[in-house]
Amino acid sequence: MIMTLAVMSFLIFLLVEIMPGDAAQTVLGQSATPESLAALRESMGLDDPMPIRYGRWAGAFIHGDLGESLYMRGVQINTVFWRKVGHSVILALTALVFYVPLSLFLGVLAGVRAGKLTDSIISFFGLATMALPEFVSGIILITIFAIKIPLLPITSIIPIGETLWGNLNILVLPALSITLVMFGYVSRMQRSSMITVMNSDYIRAAVLKGMPRGYVIFRHALKNALLPTITIIGMNMGWLFGGLIVVETLFGFPGLGSLTLSAIKTRDVPLLEASVLFITFIFVVSTFITDMMYAFLNPRIRFKGGDV
Amino acid sequence: MKTMFLLLRKNPLAVLGIVILFMWIFAALFGPLLLPYNYSEMDMDHQMSSPGEYNHLLGTDALGRDIFARIIYGSRSILTVALMTSLFSSIAGILIGFTSGYFGGLIDTVFLRIMDIVMAIPPLVLAMVVLGILGDSTIFSLTIIVSIAYTPATARVARGALLSCKGNEYVDAARIRGESHFFIMFVEILPNTIGPVIVEITARFAYSIMMIASLGFLGVGLQPPTPDWGMMVIENKSIIRAASWTVLYPSMAIASLVIAVSLFSDFISKVMIHEK
Repeated sequence: MIMTLAVMSFLIFLLVEIMPGDAAQTVLGQSATPESLAALRESMGLDDPMPIRYGRWAGAFIHGDLGESLYMRGVQINTVFWRKVGHSVILALTALVFYVPLSLFLGVLAGVRAGKLTDSIISFFGLATMALPEFVSGIILITIFAIKIPLLPITSIIPIGETLWGNLNILVLPALSITLVMFGYVSRMQRSSMITVMNSDYIRAAVLKGMPRGYVIFRHALKNALLPTITIIGMNMGWLFGGLIVVETLFGFPGLGSLTLSAIKTRDVPLLEASVLFITFIFVVSTFITDMMYAFLNPRIRFKGGDV
Repeated sequence: MKTMFLLLRKNPLAVLGIVILFMWIFAALFGPLLLPYNYSEMDMDHQMSSPGEYNHLLGTDALGRDIFARIIYGSRSILTVALMTSLFSSIAGILIGFTSGYFGGLIDTVFLRIMDIVMAIPPLVLAMVVLGILGDSTIFSLTIIVSIAYTPATARVARGALLSCKGNEYVDAARIRGESHFFIMFVEILPNTIGPVIVEITARFAYSIMMIASLGFLGVGLQPPTPDWGMMVIENKSIIRAASWTVLYPSMAIASLVIAVSLFSDFISKVMIHEK
């Protein structure tokens, strides 16, 4: 994992290096004189050869210093970055709170009623929303809940001087846009694992023993049917952060996604490094935790050492 | 082929998907010939006119450009890039996955390590960062970068498919006959893995459309004035209250195309399971 992050951070430096344009150019614009460009480059430390700059950056990074932003002069990335990450994490958690219960419930419902009308409706809805990019579902939600019925704000900007906590209503539409996309994946998984479990021998035995259907579904079937779904939810965590970029851009939400996008456009290497490495880190860690969770929740794997 | 038609009769949704997909392909091929407007032509007297007014079927945007014409032209680039990326990433994935799985050992380990590194970033983030730094995306750069972002996933599918066939007798027979590795991989094994490979290509097609639309939306896709569906959504978002059609119709275009392709790819995977 450390290896992955190290390779990635180097590639970002390299990529910015070989492409035309740098932060000094974006700060001063197209009409900058060569002298002022050279002066600014010197003060930004862009004069040194790439390996030296990389070494300097990496050395500070290991000690938790993300460096100074190149575009926003004099701003320590540590001060901006974590606040934006906090916003994104809150948005991601809100989305999780929305979509996990919803898709589990509808997935179980579709699985239990497999082949019936309820199932067809849920499955088609899931397939359709899953296929849509986040910004398309976002636009549909905006049209319905912000324009036709003016309930929620069109943009999710936090007014200057206020915090996210005072403006929680701006979270709803972005979180719902993510919910629509994730709903398809999760409910689909839940449906198919529910069908597999419901057809197994021990469920048949429980039903034949005369247990109430609801009891069988919730006490017997659900326990096993949840496992694959938990994997899917965990695996999609990193992907959720990718989706956040799109949703944040659509709503103008001040989070990690919009920060990353502006870092790219301004060639702000330290800021870009921080953002991309953070997203990668989340992605890798969530995959790891998912594996752990899976083993923890499934005694068969825990005791036999993965031999299922 | 016969089972395919039988299955089609049982899947009205798949038929719907295929019909919509062909409509878009037709629109991309011949639409621009039939249009009264060009995608960049500005009707200065009728900016933000609503759908149906002044001979603009779906209205115009803030610059007076015909939304319908821009959507029809936009279908060209998105279909071209999506088709090419799904083909390229599948071909590259098959080449890498097959070589890796077939020879095993050190080659396999090295390839898997590289794949792990690329797969550690979400594909959208990877494509966004690289395209953003490259600047001024073209159809060419878009195709290459999106293909690279998707190749590890296709390589894994191809490698898995190869490994499931590698132990079969016909592979040993070919080896004893003295066939070359290339022959065994692509003439003996490939036809037997074609099912999962075709499923992968069609699924990739749907993902590519989503990805390209998202990249356009993020402003790192094709550059203006080329019409791009994703870009149309973001550039008109600020006038959504006054002229919702400028945002809604491009969104609908993306929605109809991705849903159609998903229904189609869902159907293809059903056909492949059936053929087994």
